[in-house]
Amino acid sequence: MERNIARIALFAALIAALGFLPAVTLGFGVPITAQSLAVMLCGTVLGAKRGALAVLLFLALVALGLPLLAGGRGGLGVFASPTVGFLVGFPIAAFTTGLIVERWKGPLPLVASVASIIGGVVVLYVFGAMGLALMLGKTFPEAALLVTAFIPGDIIKAVLAGGITSGLAKARPDSLLSRA
Amino acid sequence: MRATSTPAPQFDLRDLTLRLSGRTLLDGITLTANERRIGIIGRNGSGKTTLARVLAGLIPPTSGTATLNGADMMHDRKAALRNIGILFQNPDHQIIFPTVREELAFGLLQLGRSKSQVATQVTDILSKFNKSHWEDAATHTLSQGQKQLVCLMAVLAMAPKTVLLDEPYSGLDIATRLQLQRYVARIDTTVVLITHDPDALADFDRVIWVDGGKIRADGPPATVLPPFVAQMHDWGALDDLADLPD
Amino acid sequence: MISLTSPTKIWAHRLPAGVKLAALPLTTLALFAVSAPAPLGLACVATAALYLSAGPLFARAGITSLRPLWPFLLVIALWHGISGEIAAGLTISLRLINAVALANFVTMTTPLSDMIAVLSWLLTPLRKLGLSTRAIELSIALVIRFTPALTHKGERLAEAWRARARRRPSWKIITPMAALALDDADHVALALRARGGLEPPPTSPPNPSSFPK
Repeated sequence: MERNIARIALFAALIAALGFLPAVTLGFGVPITAQSLAVMLCGTVLGAKRGALAVLLFLALVALGLPLLAGGRGGLGVFASPTVGFLVGFPIAAFTTGLIVERWKGPLPLVASVASIIGGVVVLYVFGAMGLALMLGKTFPEAALLVTAFIPGDIIKAVLAGGITSGLAKARPDSLLSRA
Repeated sequence: MRATSTPAPQFDLRDLTLRLSGRTLLDGITLTANERRIGIIGRNGSGKTTLARVLAGLIPPTSGTATLNGADMMHDRKAALRNIGILFQNPDHQIIFPTVREELAFGLLQLGRSKSQVATQVTDILSKFNKSHWEDAATHTLSQGQKQLVCLMAVLAMAPKTVLLDEPYSGLDIATRLQLQRYVARIDTTVVLITHDPDALADFDRVIWVDGGKIRADGPPATVLPPFVAQMHDWGALDDLADLPD
Repeated sequence: MISLTSPTKIWAHRLPAGVKLAALPLTTLALFAVSAPAPLGLACVATAALYLSAGPLFARAGITSLRPLWPFLLVIALWHGISGEIAAGLTISLRLINAVALANFVTMTTPLSDMIAVLSWLLTPLRKLGLSTRAIELSIALVIRFTPALTHKGERLAEAWRARARRRPSWKIITPMAALALDDADHVALALRARGGLEPPPTSPPNPSSFPK
């Protein structure tokens, strides 16, 4: 029990810490923020339920007024902005990602990458676009059009999440609660 | 309240063995101990810290039993809180809360005290250490020595019958170390000190030398420490850093 | 950790946090119920007055916190400028600015401790049902404790990277950071257990003090 709480809290802190780090680079020197990657990792490492709880805990602290979102944003304002759909989608994305890793017992790098694409990109963007549509008074397809430019970057992050997850499985063999 | 019958020996370890991922960390340790100042000495990786964690009931042994004042620390957590407080080697592994006040209050709340009682006791312990101005300090801004002292205050505030210190002085500068040693010397209860430094144990009642998960020697400092120092110098002349653990 | 509460203390800091937090969603809903630019413009004036009542310094901080909205306002301006639905564009923009500004206002005027107190109050029904909300309170403290610690370790890793590489740290430092988070979690779990774990044992009389004399 203590271990579960500690892991959930530390992964919530990891989402925040990866948002604070100066952007890391992809292979070609493109800077990215790793925050959405951390959300995928919550699912692939902690599994569906604990992963979603870690993300919810992170969002609760953002709502309480801590500037934990990438770029030092936070507070209640972010829940009234056009990107609110992505925030709502975060825990659901982590849950979906975790569920796939738990159920599909294939090779970990592949499973974690595909799970991150489905959870951390497809599911997340459906919620993100719904939020945009609502906040900006647009239809869903119109809103989806506005965010397509960001999808390739997030697919790369999802593939990286797969690699990182299998790296963690090697570095800390008993750490993968999603496969425990 | 104190038991009126003959008290059980404080520490009673019987054939304590711990294996983790195929490695034997503790190998059949048996001993009883009643002394007020007990030192456990050994080099890095000898099993000292593992032994401390088993003694404090934080991890279960693979086989054998460990009791303190007659209670099993692993399963009787209520007794454990009253019987033993542990100071971890790295204070960053011990501090749970963002502020000093919360860190000190936590253990006391865990003992079931009321919030107002706890607030008074936190103020008390801070003033006993002349650190009243630390109450609102953020724990992550403290220096290593200051963090170590916060951990010690948090442990002592809970008033356990035994205080277990795992390498409390490693990573501290000489001045900080001497100050902390002074605080430890004043602890008015049983102290078990785990260290690789023979000087820290010179005036202890009993020293147990652990090597390869076994007890290598056990007795007063005057008989255990000199052979320990000699052995360390022998090994220091060799190239055993090259050996990888299996 | 520094929260987004404004360091300039204003009258609204003294309002009970619960009142502010209850008023915010009601006002936001009202903003979404209105779909004409004129009343929303009026509401914007009212919000601006709210900020200005707190002095120019606070008002400037308020404007800064609206900065992340600009890309969206630009998109709306382009979109509605091209389609010619100017009134609709104005409605959407004014509503957005207003809703975000009001939410920021509550955050700026409510200290973290008050926010946590309201959260704890909201959880009362769970406690009445016999569920422990201790885990939630404890995990909030843990995140506040470990976010700076993990960030710090991440910076050390990035430095170690730069010390031996010409380029900026790549995504490869995320694996060791996640491993550090897992290790820290194990240490915290032990530290929690060493002091009684999640469910504290029932009250027991204290031992005689072991404070130094």
